[in-house]
Amino acid sequence: MCQIIYHPSYSKYNLGESHPFNPIRIEMVVDLLTELNYWKEPINPQIVVPEELYSIHDKKYVDEVEAVNNGKFIEDIEQIGLGTVDDPVVPGMAEGARIQSGGTLLGAELLIQNKAKKVLQFGGGFHHAHKNFASGFCIYNDLALAIKKMIDAGLYVLYLDIDVHHGDGVQEIFYSNENVMTLSIHESGEYLFPGTGWIHELGKGMGRSLKLNLPLEPFTEGESYLEVFEAILEPAMKWFRPYALVVQSGSDAHFSDPLADLMLTTQDYQKIFKKIIEFSNLYSNGRVIFTFGGGYTLTAAPRIWSILYMLLFNFELPDELPPGWISKWEKKLNKKMPVKLHDPNPAYDPIPRKEEITKRNRELVRRLLDSVSADWL
Amino acid sequence: MLIKEVMHPDPVAIPADTKLSEAYKIMQDKGIRHLPVIENFKIVGIVTDRDLRLATSKLAEHPFDPQTSVNNIMSRPVKTTSPEDPIESAAQLMRELKIGCLPVVEENSLVGIITNSDLLDALILLTGVHQPSGRLDIRLLDKTGELARLTKLLAEKKVNIHSILTYPEKDRSIRLVLRLATMEIKIIAQTICNAGFEVIWPPNIACVK
Repeated sequence: MCQIIYHPSYSKYNLGESHPFNPIRIEMVVDLLTELNYWKEPINPQIVVPEELYSIHDKKYVDEVEAVNNGKFIEDIEQIGLGTVDDPVVPGMAEGARIQSGGTLLGAELLIQNKAKKVLQFGGGFHHAHKNFASGFCIYNDLALAIKKMIDAGLYVLYLDIDVHHGDGVQEIFYSNENVMTLSIHESGEYLFPGTGWIHELGKGMGRSLKLNLPLEPFTEGESYLEVFEAILEPAMKWFRPYALVVQSGSDAHFSDPLADLMLTTQDYQKIFKKIIEFSNLYSNGRVIFTFGGGYTLTAAPRIWSILYMLLFNFELPDELPPGWISKWEKKLNKKMPVKLHDPNPAYDPIPRKEEITKRNRELVRRLLDSVSADWL
Repeated sequence: MLIKEVMHPDPVAIPADTKLSEAYKIMQDKGIRHLPVIENFKIVGIVTDRDLRLATSKLAEHPFDPQTSVNNIMSRPVKTTSPEDPIESAAQLMRELKIGCLPVVEENSLVGIITNSDLLDALILLTGVHQPSGRLDIRLLDKTGELARLTKLLAEKKVNIHSILTYPEKDRSIRLVLRLATMEIKIIAQTICNAGFEVIWPPNIACVK
């Protein structure tokens, strides 16, 4: 059975009205599942204290984040990535980030103590937070904190990142670690933020061939995505045999996302989530933690994460969304909401370079497997 | 970017009476391919791993004995460069002469060496991604004030520019690739497009022309 982790004060992580990383996304999912009578009582996590973050961040960085959060003026705060257009200084952001970190950490503890096999954390996923600077809407790296907890307990962890952006922070923190495999599947850094995540980034020292990246062509569609996703994830899991999977399930590879250019539909997401659950049952003892992540279309992200929830609980997927939910959010957001859970088919105009994109992605996964094959004995 | 910023200082050099076998061993031990040859503190020639292999190859009509000194096979006179020269001058010279390195000489003494690997490192430094950033690709008119107009817009949006790369295109236009410290490239791109700039990437920006 699956365990839900959530706390109403997750919404303290609010970077401003016009900022894409809006806590309303989580509220909309909870509300949709409640309307469907699917919502289960979550466990409330405890907030982590700043000192707990020293295990993955530099002390100086954490102390400076907490200081500016408390209104202290620090000269040239841009040096640690704050006060920027992506990561503005907003009072309460540190507490918000720490309570969400507490959620992901709680997920790790439940798995370590064997109190749960599947966990869905209704927040977190701050994969761009680096050891000593904030970046891409992220301040504290909840994922790295949870993973560190598990490897300190002597466990092997496979971190899977399906957010459309490269999971650079998590990769950097564990780049030479032998107990963590990271696999990030994203739109190529040639075009998209943060500009890293190339197939030659394979890890260092004992971590060599344990850090994997699939930088996909812009406008990659579901069929090609699923093909290369399976082609890399299955051999990686089969070989590494992690104790658990930690999945950053950003929903911003959806075709409607305003920040990126991949072309997944809700139907594709359903297939991807199903595969992850299937592979975790086969190769990681059924143990998996899902967190949220990017996903900036309010008409799509709630549907995608609800699908993940329903799959984890084996709930039947409704064809249509509850009218009460639709009217409530149409009124609140002053925006037309879709009537159905799934996207229309076809959901968008045909992509002209489809064949070439498929070919290039296939070539990419072949080259990646070639590079690691010597080490994956 | 100047030669002195990318060259290897204090290169390994050998005297002219060094035996071919000794030169070979030095290259193997140090993992290098080029050895400047020095006499009275002046550079008199250069030997490469290729020179050694060709000179001693069994396939050669008269292969040299490994005990021969390098001054029998070294290339001379040696083309050199100066630490204050720009790297593009070194790149052009190396391409023109089809050679793989240039000793760097200052006041008649050898102070460094620059190889094609150093030039590739420089290319990575110039074009690479060094901080998390998104890509904005613009076609700019080659006229006064255009770049200033663009960067002013970015500054107004409080977006930091991590790097700018430009190269010429046909028809008096300039391609400009900027790495910006933001995830919200598309939103920025729309503003830029609205201001009359041609945005190449991100694509499909719905702007008001």
